[in-house]
Amino acid sequence: MTLPPESTGLARLQACFAAALRVSGDGSPGLDPGLIAAIVDDGFAPAARLSLYRNNSRAMFTGALRRSFPVLERRVGEGYFHRLAAEYREAHPSRSGDLHWIGERFPTWLADRLAGTEYAWLADLARLEWACEEVLVAADPSVPALSIAELGGLGPETLAGLRFGLHPALRCVSSRFPIWSVWRANQPDGSGAAIAAETGAEHVVVTRSDDRPALHLRPQNEVRFIAALAEGRPLLAALEIADLPVGDLAAALSWLFQTGLVVAVEASEPGATA
Amino acid sequence: MGWIEAHTENYFQDGGPQLRALERARTLYPLSLHGVGLGLGSVAPLDREHLRRVKRAIERFEPELVSEHACWGHSGGEHFNDLLPLPQTEEALRHLASRVRQVQDVLGRQILVENVSSYLAFTSSQLTEWEFLSALVEESGCGLLLDVNNIYVNSVNLGIDPLQYFAGVPRGAVQEIHLAGHLRKQVGDRILLIDDHGSAVCAEVWQLYEQALRRFGPVPTLVEWDTDVPALDVLVAEAMRADQCLERAHDLAA
Repeated sequence: MTLPPESTGLARLQACFAAALRVSGDGSPGLDPGLIAAIVDDGFAPAARLSLYRNNSRAMFTGALRRSFPVLERRVGEGYFHRLAAEYREAHPSRSGDLHWIGERFPTWLADRLAGTEYAWLADLARLEWACEEVLVAADPSVPALSIAELGGLGPETLAGLRFGLHPALRCVSSRFPIWSVWRANQPDGSGAAIAAETGAEHVVVTRSDDRPALHLRPQNEVRFIAALAEGRPLLAALEIADLPVGDLAAALSWLFQTGLVVAVEASEPGATA
Repeated sequence: MGWIEAHTENYFQDGGPQLRALERARTLYPLSLHGVGLGLGSVAPLDREHLRRVKRAIERFEPELVSEHACWGHSGGEHFNDLLPLPQTEEALRHLASRVRQVQDVLGRQILVENVSSYLAFTSSQLTEWEFLSALVEESGCGLLLDVNNIYVNSVNLGIDPLQYFAGVPRGAVQEIHLAGHLRKQVGDRILLIDDHGSAVCAEVWQLYEQALRRFGPVPTLVEWDTDVPALDVLVAEAMRADQCLERAHDLAA
């Protein structure tokens, strides 16, 4: 560990200590002799004392990840999950004193890590679980949900340019794999049954209901449509992006309103285009 | 139950059920917000975003007490999410005191700083733990949250004397006490105590608690049991035992 000469004793100590916490395995061979000499040796080896901190820090990280991705852990088993957690930590160490964010980059990392393998679907499952985490802590809307009656009497042109303010606790997750079925089967009251990949693609809208994440299985283009609205696209543009047939629009909108997900509707500026 | 304490970081979110639950509890009980993630003694810059969220939680819940730990936790951009030990040096004291002042300035109030469990001591330490904490109170104007279990853990792990510890801490500085269980871990031929908050308070810690109350008076006391949490009646019995000790201390003080 080399630090600039002007760095103080405390800075050097913390930098060396941090390096010792990052050493993988049991750590003894990689430890800085200067750090070992800085620790009181009363017959109980400093390296063994340090390893308690190393293990604790690792356990905090893995524990936070387990709490965010319980279904994933149940599918891959505890041992493999721990290996993934250790690899993920090397790539993305904790960047916050708030443990809750440790899993933020896990789905993306996992997608790279498992790309091209038969386990690629696990990354989509991780995305779904992270969406559940996000909806639980998302803001509460400052206004009550609107009724579809708000749209009554609006002409087609106004409707086409309408932008929707959706509930902050809403996430859209689309997958080529049956992630909704896997998630359901692995809930505490679920069957635990294996789900065949052939079950096919599943598209999920995650919301918050009764203080828990609620997972709604919806048609693919409807989920795309909702995602486009959530990004702030006007109604007509969202329809086109999602390739949602106009005939399905009424059903999609009525589901959104009924589920209490629309908290604002706003007409576009006259003449504005999508 | 007289009051409740919550980990500040569990209430950093923008909304949702957890905030509402604490808002409800807040209407029934006095509240203490206890932070674990600020890493006050880290040489790396203070995490402004973390502190902003602490401030937001304080504004939201208006707690009676706000506390953090005498430790460090991050270096080189990486957080270890643990309460890491500081050497008891003049340099560490100056650094920690300036960080505590900085935090108190941003929050606009006094905070309590808690002594932590340690699994090692540094050869560079010039002060005892209690001298270090007493000087911190002096230099920063903070109060102390005295964790009696952590003192007992350190007495076994590092050979310090708990009664000397109590005697060395200024009477008026201690505004809250923590009690907790710990894990006994065999490492080679030695026993090391791990502060895991996963079992009942042990007999030695109850005895030390009585001593602490004699020294510091009937200070609000919290039993921390947050891993392997038992049935509610077991928890309540622990809290009641602490209450009985406090009542006796009240009678003595009266």
